Amino acid sequence: MSAIDSTALSFIENAPPGELKEVIDDIQSLLELDRGSVQQKVAPAVEKYNKAQYVTTKLPGGSGLVIVSSYNDLGGGRFFDTESSSSFAYDHTTQRASDVQSHPIEGDNASTVKSLVRDVGDHVKEHFPSLPAHGVYPTDDGIAILIVGNKYSPSNYWNGRWRSTYVYNPSTSSLTGTIAVDVHYYEDGNVRLVTEKKVNESLRSGTSSEIVKAIANVERKYQEELNRAFGALSEGAFKSLRRSLPVTRQKMDWQKAGAYKIGQDIGGGGRAR
Amino acid sequence: MADPFDSALDLLRRLNPKHITQNLNALIGLVPDLTEDLLSSVDQPLQIAKCKRSGREYLLCDYNRDGDSYRSPWSNEFDPPLSDGTVPSEKVRKMEVAANEAFDVYRELYYEGGVSSVYFWNLDDGFAGVVLLKKSTTAAAKNTGTWDSIHVFEALDRARTAHYKLTSTVILNMENTTDAIGTMDLSGNMTRQIEADLPVDGDSSHIVNIGRLVEDMELKMRNLLQEVYFGKAKDVVNDLRSVTNLTEVNKDRAAHSQVMSSMLTR
Repeated sequence: MSAIDSTALSFIENAPPGELKEVIDDIQSLLELDRGSVQQKVAPAVEKYNKAQYVTTKLPGGSGLVIVSSYNDLGGGRFFDTESSSSFAYDHTTQRASDVQSHPIEGDNASTVKSLVRDVGDHVKEHFPSLPAHGVYPTDDGIAILIVGNKYSPSNYWNGRWRSTYVYNPSTSSLTGTIAVDVHYYEDGNVRLVTEKKVNESLRSGTSSEIVKAIANVERKYQEELNRAFGALSEGAFKSLRRSLPVTRQKMDWQKAGAYKIGQDIGGGGRAR
Repeated sequence: MADPFDSALDLLRRLNPKHITQNLNALIGLVPDLTEDLLSSVDQPLQIAKCKRSGREYLLCDYNRDGDSYRSPWSNEFDPPLSDGTVPSEKVRKMEVAANEAFDVYRELYYEGGVSSVYFWNLDDGFAGVVLLKKSTTAAAKNTGTWDSIHVFEALDRARTAHYKLTSTVILNMENTTDAIGTMDLSGNMTRQIEADLPVDGDSSHIVNIGRLVEDMELKMRNLLQEVYFGKAKDVVNDLRSVTNLTEVNKDRAAHSQVMSSMLTR
């Protein structure tokens, strides 16, 4: 891969929520390529981005959103969805799913997976109001639970994404993972909030309802902490960087503060030249 | 197809602003033809240097750079030394010295620390300059931050007035890392412009005019940053996920609208 290609790919990896198309458009214009060539060039990065960001899609004939990720990747461009017990082909460039086939849930954890699909779904319905999707997938060391919520408001110059990733390990009864939030605001500027919180909980029974209760608890606590952290930054770092007014509560007296000196040095009446 | 320069700026508006310098260098590597245009129009966090003559710290930017050397506002000398470095005319340098003293007072009043530097240069029909301010929180603090102000202005001569055009950028990067929060990075930059015609009676009134323009602009931008960083960003997080059960939220909303409609029909 050339240095140019790896630069372009790093831009894709860092695309804000909901702005992948715009980033690809910019790369196309910068490299002065046609659409087909740029799509071919960025395809591996786009696939990586989609899987890392839990891109969502609708299955043909389906109503809800399903997740595309490394946890439900069957290889060969196919992914599976446990809620509909099906697999589908996903085109990373057009972001469309097709060719749905039956894909029953199998393995030791099949019944827990089925319960979790329902219980996580209920949790998501209660807490993720915008473009929510969830997935529960059997993995080598347990069960992966993904939750994603997106809100896109490009006409108001902001977009955001919440991603929760948990792996329940039945042999240790542990729930580990991360919660990540990414918010982009770009009206007359570029402001980005990027957060990541590691999760590590020990459970007792490992039933579906206990797992979902733990998730709800962890997320609520984190969101409350995060809300408080905005206040802490505003009252802490922000205030100590720059005061809104001097200690005197008066604006600066510019006449006094330095202007007198130039008046003495070169006399009034002259114009800048 | 879009102009490559516009696309480069669009990309910089989208990629994580925390890594602006890295992104800028990557873009320049990708399209070397854009190097000069990008370096002169994209603001980056300011670097600090120490003036060899005065021992005072000063800020580096594209406007006090000549080749690989930077001019100190305190000594007017380049480091590494240049025999033919570009310096302002004697008259404009005098104003520059006064502006540096005035903004040093301003820095102490508003920032209570940090570094400031002002650089002026001559124009055919007036002069132009940049006012720079930088402050970082102490490393010991639990939440940390860095503020960079970059105010570029033109002062064009008119009869008894001057026409000022000010473009201000504040780069504000903040981080909060605790066990309960994990990592929280809130970084970015915002830019605003203003134009004004103000009376001029001698060179000293330029300092007063520019000082007031910058002071008002910084107050406005501080309020704006407060709103976006701690208001808007927080609102979006809570739009993504609702702490309260949505069933409750919807019930409350339904009850509220019922009350409203019964009041209207009464």
